[in-house]
Amino acid sequence: MRAAATVSSVGRLAGGPSLTRAAAVLGGATLLLTAVLVGAVAIGSVGVGLGETAAILGRRLLGLPLAETWAPAAETIIFELRLPRVLTAMLVGGGLAMAGTVFQALLRNPLADPYIIGTAAGASLGAVTGIVAPLLLPVLAIGAGTAWLGIGLVQALAFAGGLGTVLLVYAVARAHGRVPVVTLLLTGYAVSSVLAAGVALLMFASGRALGAVFSWLMGSLAGASWPALGFAAPLLGLSFALLLPRWRSLNLLLLGDSAAANLGLDVEREKLILTMLATLATSAAVAVSGTIGFVGLVVPHLLRLAIGPDHRLLLPASVLVGAALLALADLGARVLGGVPVGIVTALLGAPFFLYLLRRSRGTATVAAA
Amino acid sequence: MAPRLRASLLVPLLALALLLAACRVGSTPSVQPSFTPASPSATATTVASFPLTLTDDAGRAVTIPAEPQRIVSLAPSNTEIACALEACDRLVGVNDFRDSLPDDVLATLAQVPDVATFSGVDREKLVAQQPDLVLAAGNELTPSADIAALADLGLPVLVLYPETLDEVYADIELVGRAIGQDEGAASLVDGMKADVVALTDRVAGSSAPRTFYEVGVYEGVIYTAGEDSFLASLIGLAGGEPITGDAVTTAIQLEDLVAADPELILLGDAAYDPSITPDAVAARPGWEGMAAVTGGRVVPMPEDLLITRPGPRITEGLEILARAIHPEAFD
Repeated sequence: MRAAATVSSVGRLAGGPSLTRAAAVLGGATLLLTAVLVGAVAIGSVGVGLGETAAILGRRLLGLPLAETWAPAAETIIFELRLPRVLTAMLVGGGLAMAGTVFQALLRNPLADPYIIGTAAGASLGAVTGIVAPLLLPVLAIGAGTAWLGIGLVQALAFAGGLGTVLLVYAVARAHGRVPVVTLLLTGYAVSSVLAAGVALLMFASGRALGAVFSWLMGSLAGASWPALGFAAPLLGLSFALLLPRWRSLNLLLLGDSAAANLGLDVEREKLILTMLATLATSAAVAVSGTIGFVGLVVPHLLRLAIGPDHRLLLPASVLVGAALLALADLGARVLGGVPVGIVTALLGAPFFLYLLRRSRGTATVAAA
Repeated sequence: MAPRLRASLLVPLLALALLLAACRVGSTPSVQPSFTPASPSATATTVASFPLTLTDDAGRAVTIPAEPQRIVSLAPSNTEIACALEACDRLVGVNDFRDSLPDDVLATLAQVPDVATFSGVDREKLVAQQPDLVLAAGNELTPSADIAALADLGLPVLVLYPETLDEVYADIELVGRAIGQDEGAASLVDGMKADVVALTDRVAGSSAPRTFYEVGVYEGVIYTAGEDSFLASLIGLAGGEPITGDAVTTAIQLEDLVAADPELILLGDAAYDPSITPDAVAARPGWEGMAAVTGGRVVPMPEDLLITRPGPRITEGLEILARAIHPEAFD
């Protein structure tokens, strides 16, 4: 598999995709994203007319001087409940899909997802500590509801846990100034296992909070709000801005560390930068949504099957399509009565992925690695 | 190039179409509440001074601008409190768990939509009801994320989590103040206190049997009244000596239960599951030697919700417990 991918990507290293093709792909993805935005804001458990929805958004977002013909509750539902949730879904979906693309290339592993080297376990331990600790130690409950920078204790600990775990894993995996990919994977696995035991222990002691813990671990966007979005958006925006221009490094790393070094890439430096940026995006996403699965694994594969493995196009496309698909999945989750969105992504994502795999059997670019 | 490009557009669009179709099936019009003009459904009976600021069971200061006319209750116990304070017709949204609500309450609430389930609050439906007071439950019965989100929207959210009989009284009085029914709450609480005194007098003097209340047994883990829990205090009031589990998980290990040697086993779970019988308990490995089993004092409870629901009918639950623990006092 890897040889096939390599042959096709070497051909494109220099030139990249043609402009018209890039425009068609990214234009199509943007169109899809816009359609999903409108649909996801207009549909929910309470019926608000499409015209009314558009009018509310026009008045609040664009400042159009429209007469308020709707119930105040409709405006609250559209502007305070649905819009921040849909935007959070898009930001998280885009961030996870981009991080998944980066890790699959960096680790040259088709099973890599944004969580693979410890982000999920670290963030989970942080979040579950934030949920359970105030119950076990009532002293902590005072102020547990307060928010700093728009986020609460759970979000702050999840973010710190994800980022901190990857820093630890990277430091442990480092030997003689190098971080071999296999060592990084295995170290991540071992550290994750220890942290997962801690999560299980806290779950055992969580009593009535088990429901909240479960919902967080499944991944849910029910906690979305403007302040939480205000926390995650700059962090994810930063990682988008710094990662998207590094497509060339990812293309080179696909060839293997030594080949990439021979072609002039400072391999260790690039690996560190890419890992940390992808982890920043993942931790920020996980902090506001819990560990939503499959988006970060499936979207990169889906796009590689559709548009090929060149990261110049693959990275921005994964952001746009990941954003659209998670917002769609969350719409499904809301309409199904508020099930955690992670269940929806697994339920729909995995079979769809299987279908794609079977359909594409025999063609050259099944996976990047 | 061409087929691959086509796939790149078709695949996401197909997914979009499928999901939209699925969504349409999911949201049938019958479950969609529509907006109704917010009209006061009851007139004020007592003149209380609004706006007022109350402190709820989560220690939050809650300001209620005017006497609430559109109340949402997120827990059955809160629903019972509101209805006992003659505010049933002011409820505009409730929890979908309606088991064991009094018949008159069920009838009054027949047309009132569910805005919360076991797993959480449907915030959109709740907001669509345009409530002016939300009665939530503490300790994650109403998820704290929902409480925070609703409070952020500027709704007065009163969190109730009584853990003792005295706190049930206090919460009834708190709701009474919040909805302008101070006097009704005071007389309701007086009546409850009189009932409790009558009951405790009845069982006074009898010896207190070591009592194990079985909440449930799942995958071998035995759940009972937690240490210092409400249920444990009720068993004490009803004239029993409660055998308790861990304060947080409410679980007790079989070894500890055998060592505590209950003289009386009350099967709260038998109220839901008819397969849990005294014979089934006697057949469990390790249970056969307990004093309650050898002495034939394993009692299936006819009712569990009244005992575990901290509302105005908790005194009825207390009487059910007292009758189970001291049947001789009620002959």
